[in-house]
Amino acid sequence: VSVRDIFLVGLSHKSAPIEVRERVALTGEALKDALCDLRATEGVREVLVVSTCNRVEVYVQADSIEHARRFFTSRSPEAADHLYARSGVEAVRHLFRVAASLDSMVVGEQQILGQVKEAYGLASAAQAAGATVSRLCNRAFATAKRVRTETDIGKGATSMSQVAVELVEKIFGDLKGRSILLAGAGKMGALSAKALAVLGADRILVTNRSPDRGRALAEQVAGTFRTWEELERLLAEADVVIVSTGAPSYVLTREIVGRAMKARRKRSLCIIDLAVPRNVDPACADLDEVFAYDVDDMEKVVAMTREARREEALRAEAIVEAEVIAFAKERETRAALPVLAQLRRHAEEIARAEAERTLTQVGASLDEKGRRSVEAMAKAIVNKLLHRPTARLKEAASSGDGALAGAAAELFGFEGNAPQAEKRDAEAAGKPRAAASERS
Amino acid sequence: MSVAILAIAAGLYTGATAAYIAYFARPKHARFVTAGFWLLAGAFVVHGVAIGIGCGEYGGTEFFSLRGGLVLMVWLATGAYLLLQRFYHLPALGAFITPLTLVVLFPALFGDPGHPGVSPETLRHPTLTLHVMSAVLGVGLFAIAFGAAVMYLLQEREVKGKHFGALFSRLPPLESLDRMVQRLVRAGFVVYTVQFVAGTVTAAAVWKSAWSWDPQQIVSLAVWMLYGAMVQLRHSGWHGRRYALLTLAGFMLVLGSMVSIRAIPGFTRHMGDYGARVEGTQ
Repeated sequence: VSVRDIFLVGLSHKSAPIEVRERVALTGEALKDALCDLRATEGVREVLVVSTCNRVEVYVQADSIEHARRFFTSRSPEAADHLYARSGVEAVRHLFRVAASLDSMVVGEQQILGQVKEAYGLASAAQAAGATVSRLCNRAFATAKRVRTETDIGKGATSMSQVAVELVEKIFGDLKGRSILLAGAGKMGALSAKALAVLGADRILVTNRSPDRGRALAEQVAGTFRTWEELERLLAEADVVIVSTGAPSYVLTREIVGRAMKARRKRSLCIIDLAVPRNVDPACADLDEVFAYDVDDMEKVVAMTREARREEALRAEAIVEAEVIAFAKERETRAALPVLAQLRRHAEEIARAEAERTLTQVGASLDEKGRRSVEAMAKAIVNKLLHRPTARLKEAASSGDGALAGAAAELFGFEGNAPQAEKRDAEAAGKPRAAASERS
Repeated sequence: MSVAILAIAAGLYTGATAAYIAYFARPKHARFVTAGFWLLAGAFVVHGVAIGIGCGEYGGTEFFSLRGGLVLMVWLATGAYLLLQRFYHLPALGAFITPLTLVVLFPALFGDPGHPGVSPETLRHPTLTLHVMSAVLGVGLFAIAFGAAVMYLLQEREVKGKHFGALFSRLPPLESLDRMVQRLVRAGFVVYTVQFVAGTVTAAAVWKSAWSWDPQQIVSLAVWMLYGAMVQLRHSGWHGRRYALLTLAGFMLVLGSMVSIRAIPGFTRHMGDYGARVEGTQ
């Protein structure tokens, strides 16, 4: 029950192009079958497969790493060139980093934790996840949670549309009772308008020079189409204006926006210019209660987020490292437990047998109290004798030293029985604490 | 006695201030807000006890000095803020309001609370208590509006200037702050109107003249008209930056006049014995 028999083989966006990833990626029933196949393989005890669009990773508790490698090579021969392999503590660290979103394409993104949880759910359902994988996953989830709460790794906007949401939120709070105007049919504009839906705008108005494309876009974002000639009137109505037309010059000049602001009776207006070349005169931002942003401003925010997350990632790595060490230590301690249990069982058996033998010989000359004294004495000798070795074994195991447990097993001749104890240990999965207290 | 209890209250105010500022620095730790709220609530209760005992000790005369007026203002403004927290969740505001209480309260701890004694007959006029309480509460509400306006201007600079720094993420949205300023100005104006009416009634009864060109009366009228104008301007579309600046200017006038009028001895009858001496010489 140490970490030495945990292996990982996988490929991700960092090691393999999408063509290779999609060839080995598995979902649904196919993934379940693959899990069962791998689990049924001789020498494999537990399996976990994490399969997302960015990575496919196979974790096994097995005799050899080759079982995991074969999973890839049997599906796609060229995958072999893109695989990375980790074993023991390295494999544990990798899973913890993946779950904490430190290995993601966008560091700190939230989805990966859910995907790992899903992978664990599938492994459990296929009965491929036993005590080790359960414990491993639970610690990985706890680590990810710690990273999320103790660092700011998930903070900030990582895309243009998220930046738009953040800006609008800091100006208006929410968009209840307000409307969004989408001017022009640029792709980024539609994306941003959709993202802004989380703020609960009452309606989306769409306008475009070509009415056909405008109508199609309106349908796509669940908005209302208005003709391009109405633009100035629409400016007075909407609170957030997203501009992304293909026009080579300013569509919204200072004069147009100034007139609109008068008509708005000074209600604030947020203008987001997603077009290159720009469609909104930067001088508009000089007007009171007009908040205007262009692509550069938004890019700046994204860059700031990336920078901030890089710094937070360093703090997250420290948390992961601490958790990996704690996990490895815990496994080592548990590795010593079967030896301890055997030692005690062995000693108690001897004590009971010897006490019985003594009592059959001289028991007749003793009263009830005397008999109990003999039994108590045998027990006391066992306890006193085992007290120090027990403490030492636990101590050695918790400091990561499994050698002493091995030596004890050898000294008392337990080797043959050891796997049996380990098996029982595995059956007590999910309640490691209860299992531990049973034995101590 | 009341000063010693006031010192305990000041300690609790300090704790609340520390908690709210800690929350502002580390917004992830929501328990700072809870701690700040309850410390402030505790300070409010202890402060209330101090005021009650002070009334017995000094017969109510201490509220007519600058010191007493400001201490009472801290108490009522804290009450108003606690009430506000129940309806609007703007914990960041605490970091801007609580330091103000300390600025006002700490000098007061070392000030002279006046001479123990029985309150003069003039101080027992029924509308006078209403006048004092509403005047102080009104100014307290203006003070909270001032804090919210400062927050607005800071956030406006972040949003408009594209800084997006630490303040950007910590301060509430502009619209929420703007709405908060407007509501506080409106509520403060209503309360201030009550004090104006009650004051005039008291003056007519005690000084035998509703309007006697007392400097405090003149300033009160100016403040009342200014905030009245602000309530009106809101209806004609004023908001945002200009409104926040106006709120700042308004409170500067209130605070500046309160301090300067009382700094000149004998300048106003709104002091010490509340004109009892003047009446006595007549």
